[in-house]
Amino acid sequence: MVGMSVLRSAAAFAARLNPLKHGNNAVNLLSRTIPRTDKVAVRWGHGKKMFVVKPTDFYDRRFLHLLKFYVLLTGIPVAVLITCVNVFIGEAELAEIPEDYEPEHWEYYKHPITRWISRNIYDSPVKDYEKMMAAIHIEQLKGEMRLTQLEVRQQMRTKGDGPWFQVETLDKSLIDNSHKSTPDN
Amino acid sequence: MPTDFDKDAYPEPPRQTPVAEKQTGLPNPALIVAKLFYYSVDLPVTTFRGVVGKIQAGNKSVYYHQKFRRVPELTQCREGDFLCYYEAEMQWRRDYKVDQEIVKAVQDRMRACHQREGHSHQQNCMKELQLFSDVAKAYNSRYGDLGAYASGRKCLMKQKERMMAGLKSPD
Repeated sequence: MVGMSVLRSAAAFAARLNPLKHGNNAVNLLSRTIPRTDKVAVRWGHGKKMFVVKPTDFYDRRFLHLLKFYVLLTGIPVAVLITCVNVFIGEAELAEIPEDYEPEHWEYYKHPITRWISRNIYDSPVKDYEKMMAAIHIEQLKGEMRLTQLEVRQQMRTKGDGPWFQVETLDKSLIDNSHKSTPDN
Repeated sequence: MPTDFDKDAYPEPPRQTPVAEKQTGLPNPALIVAKLFYYSVDLPVTTFRGVVGKIQAGNKSVYYHQKFRRVPELTQCREGDFLCYYEAEMQWRRDYKVDQEIVKAVQDRMRACHQREGHSHQQNCMKELQLFSDVAKAYNSRYGDLGAYASGRKCLMKQKERMMAGLKSPD
């Protein structure tokens, strides 16, 4: 047993002395022999990992990542919705108005989404027209009323026989006639 | 699927492709390219549209062109009747849009004729050229320099100027 360790240490010593000699190769590299650097397995893979010194792109990449995320968050559902509408529902076709039929206001549009918006969200163009006409009518009445008021003002001021511009006179009982009540005063 | 264009407004000239007489043993590259295009683009697109058409065949809806009633024009309105002014203005705007579309359609026909005839367009397209020239002159004289804030009143004033110029020129 002791002789074995002596032999092993002698082999290690011999290998250290002359590693190139044939019998001196380290059969088991686990024993305390020198490492063989001339017979290393070299594989040309991705190359040696280098540490490239460049300014940080963390913020730029984070920004682009977040931009992509938030744009696609609603972009993809909207795109899917529009594709499904165009494929499964499809656009309307032009037709002549049948006799005695009054089309609804959304039936004047082609695309199904436009029709839906016109039906559910917007008021009908007839209603918008009438709303505008109502506003114009109110303004017209206001304008006419203002003009007549000016005219009436002028007339009442000059003629004086109307209810406006009447100056209240004093009460008769307040007049003090004592200084002219007798002829000798 | 979108409808085809009006075949009377845009007539196609008779086809003049000669009968192909093959004189070489080599394959015709134009034919190869045409077949390639057909199988890679035309056929898939047509089958896709056919499939989509089958899906949409059940729920077909229609749309109509709206017909508006004629209302009294600006010249027939009483002074101070702003409601009449508004209705006349809206009618004038609809007519303006219609006239723009008419000019576009006539121009489109003239350009199609030009493209069809090629080098002999000045000779063969006289009808379309004359029609477009007339329509453009009329549009210019009526709506010409009214600008972005055009209105029925401004158009009426322009007409008045035109009539006055017409009265002055015979003198």
